[in-house]
Parts: sequence; C-alpha cells; structure tokens
Amino acid sequence: MIGLGPADPCLQCLLGLLRDPRSAHSVSLADWDKTIRLARQARLLGVLAHRIQSQAECLEKVPDCVLGHLRSATAYSEHRVQMLRMELAALANALPVELPVAVLKGAAYIVQDFELARGRLPSDVDLLVSRGQLDQAEAALHDAGWVAEAGDAYVERYYREWSHELPPMRFPGHPVEVDLHHTITPVTSRLKPDTASLFANLQPVSGQRFLVLQPLDQILHAAVHLFQDSELFANLRDLVDIDGLIRAHLHSASDWQALAARARQHGFERPLWYALRYCRAWLGTAIPSDLPLAAPPAVAIQLMDWVLPRCTLPRVPDRPAEISRRIAGLFGVLRYQWLRMPPGLLLRHLTHKGLQSLRPSTAAQRNIR
Amino acid sequence: MIAQQTRFRDLPPSLLAARLAKTAIEIEFGAAIVRVRSSLDIFVRDFQRIYGAFVVPERIPFADFHVEICAGRGLRTFLKPQSRFLIDGVQPFDPFPREQAFPHFEWGVNWCFAQRFNQHVLLHAGALALGDGAVIMAAPPGSGKSTLTAAMMLRGFRLLSDEFGVLCPRTGQLWPMLKPLALKNRSIDVIRDYAEEAILGPIYKATRKGDVAHLAPTDDSVDARRLPAHPRLVIFPSFREGAPLTTRRLPAEDAFARLAFNSFNYGVLGETSFNAVADVIDSCPAFALEYSRFDEAVESLRAMLAESTAAREAA
Repeated sequence: MIGLGPADPCLQCLLGLLRDPRSAHSVSLADWDKTIRLARQARLLGVLAHRIQSQAECLEKVPDCVLGHLRSATAYSEHRVQMLRMELAALANALPVELPVAVLKGAAYIVQDFELARGRLPSDVDLLVSRGQLDQAEAALHDAGWVAEAGDAYVERYYREWSHELPPMRFPGHPVEVDLHHTITPVTSRLKPDTASLFANLQPVSGQRFLVLQPLDQILHAAVHLFQDSELFANLRDLVDIDGLIRAHLHSASDWQALAARARQHGFERPLWYALRYCRAWLGTAIPSDLPLAAPPAVAIQLMDWVLPRCTLPRVPDRPAEISRRIAGLFGVLRYQWLRMPPGLLLRHLTHKGLQSLRPSTAAQRNIR
Repeated sequence: MIAQQTRFRDLPPSLLAARLAKTAIEIEFGAAIVRVRSSLDIFVRDFQRIYGAFVVPERIPFADFHVEICAGRGLRTFLKPQSRFLIDGVQPFDPFPREQAFPHFEWGVNWCFAQRFNQHVLLHAGALALGDGAVIMAAPPGSGKSTLTAAMMLRGFRLLSDEFGVLCPRTGQLWPMLKPLALKNRSIDVIRDYAEEAILGPIYKATRKGDVAHLAPTDDSVDARRLPAHPRLVIFPSFREGAPLTTRRLPAEDAFARLAFNSFNYGVLGETSFNAVADVIDSCPAFALEYSRFDEAVESLRAMLAESTAAREAA
C-alpha cells in the first residue's frame, strides 16, 4: 500500500466506496459529511452516486440528507451529458461527412455508452483530426459559427506551434467548449506517439458519426493525459477513468500483453506504469504482476509515491494545505512544464508569461499555463 | 428539551463569536444545513441579530454546505477591508466590501443552493403555510413579492421561504428554506412601519441590489423548520399604488409557464421539474393578485388558502 500522505481518514472511506459501493452501509453520518465533500472536490460525486444508487440493498442504509446530494449530482451529470450530446449532434452537422473525426475522453466514453460514463461529469468535447485535415476541420467549424476564444498573437502561436490542440472554440450561447486536437501529446513534448498507427486504428462506433481511439489507445491516452499533460493536481478522477477503461477493455492475459506492446510502440511505457501502480493501490484494479513493462528508476518511483498522494488526492479544505502538499503541488507544476517543452523553449515561455503577468491580464492569457 | 431551544440571540455575543471563529456553527434552514465559520466581528454582530430566532444546534454531524466568511488578504486589508466568501475552501466570486459581509454571506449561500441542490426543484418563489397547506408566491423581481411575503409572515403565516420555493419532486411537498427576507429600498420602511415586532437588520447601502435590509424569520417559522407542507394555492402578486384588491384565476398553462420557467434549475432537472411543476398546477388553483393595501391582501390570501386547503382535503 502506498501511503496516503497527510490525508483525512475519510479519504480511505471515499476510495473504499469507489472500490466497493456496498461499503456505504457502514459509513457514519460524520464520515459522509467529509466524504461527500472529497468526492465533489475530485469531481467524482456523480460517479459515486451512480455506483451507490445501483446497489439497491445498500441504498436503504444511506441517510436521506446524503441521498439528496447523490441525487443532485446524478441530475447534474445527466444534464451535462445531455448538453454534451447536443453539442456532438451540432458538431456532426457542421463537419463534412467525409472527414474522419474522432472524439476523445469524456465524449468518447459517452458515445460508446460505457459504464464508466455513468454519473461522470464531462467538461469539454475533445475532437481529434489528422494534422493534414486540421485546417479543413477548423474552417468547417468557423463557417458553422464556432468562435475561438480571443487571444493575443502569443496565445495563438502557443497553441498552433507548440500545442496538440487549437485554442478552445465555442458556439456562442452553447454551454460546452470544443477543443480540436491533431494528436494526443503536445508537439513539443519528448513523448512522440506513433501517430500514423494511432489514426490508422481509429474505430467506428455503431450508430455514431464520430470515431474513437482503439481500446488500448484509449487507456494509453488517459494515462498520458494524467502523467504527461497535467500538473498532477486533483486528478483522482483520471485514475478512476483508467480503472473503468481497464475493466471495460481488458479481459485476458493476452489483452494485457497487447496493452504493454502498444505502450512500447507509442513510447508510453512510463505513464502507463505509473497509472497502473496507482490504480492498483487506490482503486483495487486487478493488474497482472508479470507485465513486460520497464519500471522507472527506484528513486523516481519514491518521488512519485510521495508527490502523488499529496497532489492528486482530494483533501478536506477546512485548514490551509500542509507545507508538504504545497511542495508537492509546486513539483507537479514544474514537472508538467518540464515534460511539455524542451528547456530552451520552456525558458522562453516562462519569460514571456513572467513579463505578461506584469501587465493587466486578460482571461485568454490567464488560460494558458 | 429547554437546552435544545436556546436561540442564537440568547448566547452571549463573545461565546457566539468564539464558536463561529473556532469550531463553526450549523444553521438549520429546513431543507439544508449550512456550517459556517467566521472571525469577522461585523459578520458575527449582524448574524446574531438576523439569525437570532434560529436554534443553537446541539450536535449536527452532517452539513450540506461548508462555508466561511473571512477577511481579505494582503495590503488591501488595511486600505480597503474586504470580506471573502469561501465554500469548501474555494472562493467562487469576488470579495465584497467588509461592511457588507452579511449580505455577502446571504448571497453566497443562495449561490450554493442554486448550484448544488438539484435534488429539489428550486422555484424562484416565496412560500408560506397555514398548518400544512402552503401558498406559493411567484413573481418577477420588483413586483413586491418579498414585501407581501414579509407582511404575511408578520400576520401569522409560517414562512417557508422567500427566494427559494423548495419543491421535492418525489413527495410533491414544499420544504422550508428559512433564509432571512432581503427587503430592498422602499420596502424596508414599509415593513418597519407595518409591524413594530419586525426584526430588521442594518440597512446595507448601495449593494448590487440597491439598499438592502434583512427581515428575520419569526420564531414560529423557525420552530417548524423540519416540517414540509403541501402546496395548495399559487399566487402571482403585483403591487400597484392605489389599486383595489383584485384576483384573477389563471389558466393552468399560463400558470405553469410562469412558475416553471422562473425556477433556478428547470433546465437541469428537465422532465423531473416539468412533472413536479405540472403536479402543483394540477392540484392548486392559481391566481394573479393585484393589491395596494397589505392587510386587505393578507386577509384575502388567508381566506383563499383556507378555502383551497379545505376543498383539497374534502376531495
């Protein structure tokens, strides 16, 4: 078991409920008070609600006031899913039929009707097209009325040259934002997936306009997103996604072998290794012990074992964060920038941001990290 | 039993201040419990006056929302003092001037309900009850709804809520949500003159909604905070200077649209809120009521609610 850092005992309660919602019958009212807050902070209250509400026998043991919050989270998640489906329908109308477009992450889980999408709170629509067709897709969306968030020349350049997505777009009045990607890791990062194979293996979903990544790539993308393209902050929900994807896609020893091989092909072994480590430790994901994956150096593992609980797991916010959490958070930010860009570019980016911060800022500038 | 009935107004101010600063206290609004912490003196003072009737909780293990009203940060604290509203440690909107800490709290708690309380249909309406029969008072801002709601409460109706009509979609009952009534501009003097027993907080000048003062819920309303009521009558009031009292029965589809489309979370709840509001309109007569004299309007509403409740119980 990996230590949970300076965590409240109720974090164990939340992880226990995610592993087995039947443990709901033994949670005291005082523990529910904190557990609901931790789940909400981790954006997992709807997921927790769905899991508990699908266990009829433990439902009657859940106090009414707690049930209220579970129902509320379920209603809100259903509403957001509906908004996202409406956005996908509008996008399907706007994009030329012959253009292959895939959906990633939340939207992909919804169009595939995965169990893990139940109660999940989707945020944006993430679309993926090949780099060669990016301009066509962008033009189609602009023509249909989607508008990019206004940014200055630097923001534009940041996205177009160094990022793996365009500046976020929104149809005026729509509640859901659209991110148009052309690959799954930043252009400048050291990890370069096998993009040709990624696109060659896109899969249709029955009855849907949009394609999805092949199953193993869905798992790898989620792992890369968490361990390569995030500041590791408050990301328990990404581990819950990975756990859900593993349960949905991997059923045999040969599936696992194929996952490891695919990770090697993309150069994603390390993010996958970490994802599996913490999924097993915190969510009880069943993972074979003899996977042919190269482990990171022992010192890196020790460091991540110290950082991740302090950074990624939610905390009861009644007191200011402990100093160790702040250090871990800072590490997460630095690590993110370091992985994202080569040192020269990073220095330039941080210098620009530093200078920008001296001027009155606009929302668009604050938005890029 | 007596110990459980201690009200906030009975506590020595220093004790209340210490509890608010150190351990937090819970406020039972009825449908929801809010745990609040604050070490701002001005907040504690206004809180004790306006929440004086609320019962000091004994041990409440579960709260629906955890909020804090605290001071601004940095140098600004000395130049232009501020109050910040935090829910679960997060500050969802900009600070207010320090002297408006109390209205800031009220506004913040409303925000929490409107954002995170989707287990109920949240009608943008007042609600008052006699026994367990309730009248829903819905109207656009500026039509004198809060003023009439205040007058009804001060003439013996039990207040359920002013801003949030909390309608449970599973039972069809209205839950109390005893937020103090926020009276604006002229209404403040009107209510002060109307009932000398009215407990009003300080007047906060030039807030986002003009001058605001809060009217405390009555002891009877607070004591019945755990009792829901059945909707029996729907009223769309409007105040017009010098107008004689008139009531006009509204067709169901008209009443439905006016009630449903003003709710805070109609869109979020979709079918659930459609059905819940349709059930209310099905079972309650709805009237537009125009008035200028409070007592006349209050007595007329008392008779209409009694009649509609009796008709319903006979059915």
